[in-house]
Amino acid sequence: MITAERKPLEEIIDYVKPFKRILLLGCNECVTVCAAGGRKEVGLLASGLQMAMLKAGSSIEIREHTLERQCDPEYVEELVPMIDGADAILSMACGCGVQQLAMRFKDKPVFPAVNTKFMGGSQRQGVWDERCQGCGDCLLGITGGICPIARCAKQLMNGPCGGSCDGKCEIGEDVECAWHLIWERLKALGLQDRYLEIMPAKDWRPAGGAGPRKIIREDLAE
Amino acid sequence: MSFSKRLTAHEFVVLAEMHTPKGVNITGLVNDARRIKGRIDAVVVPDMDNGIMRMSALAGGVLMQQQGIEAIIHIYCRDRNRMALQGDLLAAHVLGIRNVMVTHSEEMSQGDHREAKEVFDLNEVELVRTVGELCGGQDLSGFELDGSPDFTVGCTVAPYADEAALAGELQAAADKVAAGAKFVITPPVFDLDHFQSFLAQAKGLGVPVIPTVFLLKSLAIAQYIARSEPGAKISEELVRRIRKSSDREAEGLKIAGETVAALRDMAQGVMLQTLGWEHKLPIILDHAGL
Repeated sequence: MITAERKPLEEIIDYVKPFKRILLLGCNECVTVCAAGGRKEVGLLASGLQMAMLKAGSSIEIREHTLERQCDPEYVEELVPMIDGADAILSMACGCGVQQLAMRFKDKPVFPAVNTKFMGGSQRQGVWDERCQGCGDCLLGITGGICPIARCAKQLMNGPCGGSCDGKCEIGEDVECAWHLIWERLKALGLQDRYLEIMPAKDWRPAGGAGPRKIIREDLAE
Repeated sequence: MSFSKRLTAHEFVVLAEMHTPKGVNITGLVNDARRIKGRIDAVVVPDMDNGIMRMSALAGGVLMQQQGIEAIIHIYCRDRNRMALQGDLLAAHVLGIRNVMVTHSEEMSQGDHREAKEVFDLNEVELVRTVGELCGGQDLSGFELDGSPDFTVGCTVAPYADEAALAGELQAAADKVAAGAKFVITPPVFDLDHFQSFLAQAKGLGVPVIPTVFLLKSLAIAQYIARSEPGAKISEELVRRIRKSSDREAEGLKIAGETVAALRDMAQGVMLQTLGWEHKLPIILDHAGL
């Protein structure tokens, strides 16, 4: 999923303070799972904003709503009846959702209330780790299901850098060395031969090196 | 008098662009440079900013300095992060280079190493500022340098398609001047009247504006630019002149020389761009009366 963290309240206030009526929008997908921008967080932020504005001797009218998916134009259409009642939109979705709103409602300022962080997975309650950088040319089949692009600080492609110690990365004791993990996993699977294969310099075009990426499925596209 | 001093003294400067080889054979580069030594004020050495892997501008600039020719080297943001850029700038000073030009760079997908990763750790404005920081004795993290470099830094106005794009490019140039750029190189000039109006707008930049004079090596090139780059303002008349010439190559050289001569009364310098025909530079200078 795409992970996110809420922006500091002060930054959000700076965005919305010129406006009287705000449409505050959550998303029921990834940002709900990572507790950054779902229905619950929308309620908390609305209260926080109201209180902060009152304390500053001002007031703000906030309408709360949470869409099934903000990155999907079909769900964004739900907002049409509400949009005239808002001076600006504050989105708690990832950057994809924010941009979908900005494209659909061209005459409304749209502000992000979260910082979109990475594609990751939940490790335990309240902890998410980066797992994928969307490089467009998945190597997990060669690297034992552990990604050196997302999980090695140097994005090395042919083994560790020499800075790891006891399976930990030199950048911090809480960061696992991706190549240590890869080696251990390949060994456990009896696939050590794959480790010995030299991977050529990576083609970064599928990772976005040739500009913004797009997927067109001819069988689905209208 | 050095390039920098000539700029400050409002003297006309003549620059010539010379590309480094794709390989280690420097014979052509050095010979071409020697042919124009004393007739130009500095050689501008592009790096790989056009997307073609070649010998670095730093080495090319040092070669020019070794020939007793002042060098201006390109620096840009696509291939190096702030560490590499700063390190190379310190190296450039130590090796005798005193002028750098912050340039735009072609997208990697348009070059000859399309699989490579782009960097863009800094942008052009930040890179101009970085040069100033180093000259002021500090690196970008605020650490004090043991000996500061000394550079005259310039920048470019990128080619533009229309007036709206020009306004954007001039604003970008103004940002770079505010960050410390001391001269600006323009896109190629083919129409002097248009350049006059460009110059009127660019005067607000407050630094010397140096037009590029591009050698039209063939009719096909002139037609291609006329068709694909409306902002270049290549007129029908200019294309016709090359087409009707019995020696189109010579005509292109003559046009370049005439343009340089005309610009002597309009701008504070010219930069000759011959893209692989650097051996023809003496002929252009002859036509220009330089």
